[in-house]
Amino acid sequence: MGPVIGVVNYGVAGNIFSIVKALEKIDARVKVVNSSGDFEKVDKIIIPGVGSFKDAMSEIHEDGIYDALVSNVLSKPTLGICLGMQILSKIGYEFGETKGLGIFDAEVKNIYCSAPIPHMGFNKINVQKDSLLLRGVEDESFYFMHSYEVVNYTDILSLTEYEGHQFVSAISKGNIYGVQFHPEKSREAGLEVFKNFLNV
Amino acid sequence: MSLRIIAKLDVKPPYVVKPVHFEGLRKIGLPAELAEKYYKQGADELIYTDIVASLYQREILFAEVEKAAKEVFIPFSVGGGVRSIDDFSKLFHSGADKVVINTYAVQNDPHIIKQASEIFGSQSVIVNIEAKKWGSSWECYTDCGRVRSGKSVLDWVNEVADLGAGEIMLQSVDCDGRQRGYDIDLVSSVVESVSIPVIAASGAGNLEDVLSVVQQARPDAVALASILHYEKTTIREVKDFLRKNGVEVS
Repeated sequence: MGPVIGVVNYGVAGNIFSIVKALEKIDARVKVVNSSGDFEKVDKIIIPGVGSFKDAMSEIHEDGIYDALVSNVLSKPTLGICLGMQILSKIGYEFGETKGLGIFDAEVKNIYCSAPIPHMGFNKINVQKDSLLLRGVEDESFYFMHSYEVVNYTDILSLTEYEGHQFVSAISKGNIYGVQFHPEKSREAGLEVFKNFLNV
Repeated sequence: MSLRIIAKLDVKPPYVVKPVHFEGLRKIGLPAELAEKYYKQGADELIYTDIVASLYQREILFAEVEKAAKEVFIPFSVGGGVRSIDDFSKLFHSGADKVVINTYAVQNDPHIIKQASEIFGSQSVIVNIEAKKWGSSWECYTDCGRVRSGKSVLDWVNEVADLGAGEIMLQSVDCDGRQRGYDIDLVSSVVESVSIPVIAASGAGNLEDVLSVVQQARPDAVALASILHYEKTTIREVKDFLRKNGVEVS
């Protein structure tokens, strides 16, 4: 039996449906984490990502899962997706300044470039560091859908270029990973990333 | 950045239908089957619209959405009859990645765009525009091209961009379903006046139509319906053709 993947459900700000569906497609064991108590039933954690930084963090506090989430992220392999990656940072600047989970020494800021924002669509990743997570998909395209980016200089796994502007598209620190793109929306290549995460 | 090719499913549950000129419906097939078919052809995204929800003032049928989203691993946008934050929330939980809104925002409360973008993020809010040409400008219509709003399209697109819309889906009441080409002036006017992504819809009848709108108006995405539904072409063929003509696609 493989590991149980816990997909954290934090209210309106998280779209868990597509992620659960993609994990079921690759025959992973999935459990939706709805409360602090649910964390002990899972071996790995996925933090989904739809919504704004500020609302995501207030949901996490209101649901009373903040402490359990941080301690579990620090002790179990974790994958943050899009906003789920962003809230692993120290601070976010979407609708004011909000404290994140503080795992990565990073800030989340508006993407500044002349091309249309949100950055939306399939785009390449330029791998900077070998990792289990991105093994075998280095030359694939992934789906991006975001207006904010993680600014970090020390934990970069891959960069992506959007009309001359470079930003961090994947990040890692030990077994904690974050991807700005949506593996659940990136065809077969995205399913590969989930398979890699099962083996982390 | 690659141009996105989007397959558009207009649904009158339980069927995907194709309105001609927004009137007169033809049954095409089941949403789940067509969604999977276009996914396998290489579509970059799907847009599912319940085209009668708004007209009949009923809720969108969430179970139908969930069924259609089941086997596709690309972005899935859903619209039709959306009139509250609760509708947005239910759609995200039924498998939508983005929600498309038109009638309610135009007729009742533009502010819902701002609320939704603050809660769910701009990238998940698409505003659908149904434009009809009057002389040298365009007016916004609602309820599948049936009701006039009095709003100018170019004013409205700026307003929705300021309110936080993440994307504009631009349909033309004049060109939709006719397969005689896009309203290129409309698309380029909108692309020039906003800085958010614009999806050009309505009018593709052949590969050249798609290339023309892409080269002349530079939208971020094109949405296709009739030419796919009637199997005049496939998404793979569209992409090959565009690539051959120097357009970057994924």
